[in-house]
Amino acid sequence: MNTTVTEDLSLFYLISSASLFVQLVMLLLLLASLLSWWYIFRKLFVLRDAIRQSDEFEDYFWRGVDLNTLYQRATTARYTAGSMERIFISGFGEFSKHPPGTDVDMIMESTRRAMQATYQREMDRLETHLSFLATVGSVSPYVGLLGTVWGIMNSFRSLSNISQATIAHVAPGIAEALIATAMGLFAAIPAVIAYNRYVSDTEKLATRFESFMEELSNILQRRASH
Amino acid sequence: MKAGKSRNTSEKEPGSLPAAALAVLVHLVFIGLLIFGFHWKEKPPEGMMVELWQDLPTQPIAQPQPPVKSTPPPAPPPPKQPPKPAPEPKVEPKTEPQTAPKPEPVKPQPAPPKRPDIEIKEKEAKVKAEAERVQREREEQKKREIEEQKKREQEAQRKRQAEEQKKREQEEQKKHEQNEQKRREEEALKKRQEEEQKQREREEQKKREQEAQKKREQEEQKRREQEARRKREQEEKARQEAQQAAAAAAAAAAARAQVASEIGKYQAMIKAKIRSRIVMPPDLPGNPAVEFDVTLLPGGDILGVRLRKSSGYPTFDSAVERAIHLSKPLPLPPDPALFSEFRNLNVIVHYLE
Repeated sequence: MNTTVTEDLSLFYLISSASLFVQLVMLLLLLASLLSWWYIFRKLFVLRDAIRQSDEFEDYFWRGVDLNTLYQRATTARYTAGSMERIFISGFGEFSKHPPGTDVDMIMESTRRAMQATYQREMDRLETHLSFLATVGSVSPYVGLLGTVWGIMNSFRSLSNISQATIAHVAPGIAEALIATAMGLFAAIPAVIAYNRYVSDTEKLATRFESFMEELSNILQRRASH
Repeated sequence: MKAGKSRNTSEKEPGSLPAAALAVLVHLVFIGLLIFGFHWKEKPPEGMMVELWQDLPTQPIAQPQPPVKSTPPPAPPPPKQPPKPAPEPKVEPKTEPQTAPKPEPVKPQPAPPKRPDIEIKEKEAKVKAEAERVQREREEQKKREIEEQKKREQEAQRKRQAEEQKKREQEEQKKHEQNEQKRREEEALKKRQEEEQKQREREEQKKREQEAQKKREQEEQKRREQEARRKREQEEKARQEAQQAAAAAAAAAAARAQVASEIGKYQAMIKAKIRSRIVMPPDLPGNPAVEFDVTLLPGGDILGVRLRKSSGYPTFDSAVERAIHLSKPLPLPPDPALFSEFRNLNVIVHYLE
């Protein structure tokens, strides 16, 4: 790529001398890479916070504190609350709305529904942008490859006018076309790694939320039947 | 993605701006590395190309050599030229003083008149001639005497001048000698003074050094005393700290032991309660053991019971499981901090006690 040609082969020269289509592909890939890195960092912060808040709440919950005081403490800090705390708020709020003497099964059914709704909303929040990372990870290599193929096609087409063809005539075109593939891979690799990591993190959180919901509904049912 | 954002209007996602800044930073770093790498790989081959092209067009190899040889010759001549003019001025001053004294001592021309006029025509003429000769001889004698007198006077003058010169030289020598003597005396005085000053300085230096040594010794003594004090204090502190640490460790150990004893007590109570509810199946061979994982809720309620290791006798397993469910409010320590020890309980029951 850079040993045979006496021409200036600096990166900017290669990019600026590429054809318009290849340049558009490169721009697209740059934008995709920027966005995916933005989401990677955002999701990193969000998931880290979610895991930390769940740890704190679970630790506090299983110390055997009274549920009413826990509910009041959680509702006063509603806007800084974590996902698990919010599931608890919705479930316990729904449970305490029923007047005493109502059917236990009915109470539990509505409580479970309320917690399920909050759970799904929280999971949706945690899973946003993951699909974008997956898309970038799977598509951007193909987009880069498309730019490369187009550039190589162009460089070979310009070769047809020359009687004595050497590598020097084709090399710059191929070099500038290969930049597109490199950019595609640069965008794809971190996106795929981050996607896999974040999906496993969200799945772990989901199982934690689900088991917490089951345990809380058990506690509430026992409390209602007494 | 926009739909996803609109759903989450209840809460802003934290750190979206720092995330954007970090994303841009990552790209800048990558592009910087790329450019650096490109330049780094690009330059060496260019240098190779330049060397190859220089050799090819100049086919005669002899051409590059002459310029190398021609350049050195101009350099040597400049050093040779400067030494030549230097000796010339030295010769001129020597010749001038030698020529100057010569013109002065040129001697006056010798006496011109000695003309023997021997023309004897007549006696009278002879007499006259004799009288003239006599007169001439007298005049010549007078002239000679005058000249001799002049010569003597000149010689006397020369002698006087010489004597005066000698006197002057002697006087000058005397003056010189006197001056030199004065100088020697002054120098001697100066030397003595200097020696005295040096001696004084040496003595002062000795005094200073002695004082400095005394000070140093005093300071060292102080330092040693301070260090000794510090060491004592440190040792005391260390002893106190060790004692405190020992006390704290003992207290912690006691607390741990208390906690452990508390936990052990309640574990024993739980085990006893479960054991009292077991309806033992009769006549099992040996001493089989069954192991259960029990999840508890605060308050002693049982959330779940899972068989971990079967004893090999289903009747015994089910009897123990029933007993665990029957002994429902399990005894738990009143301290809620200890509940974490009981949340996931491992219950092992042996057939024979």
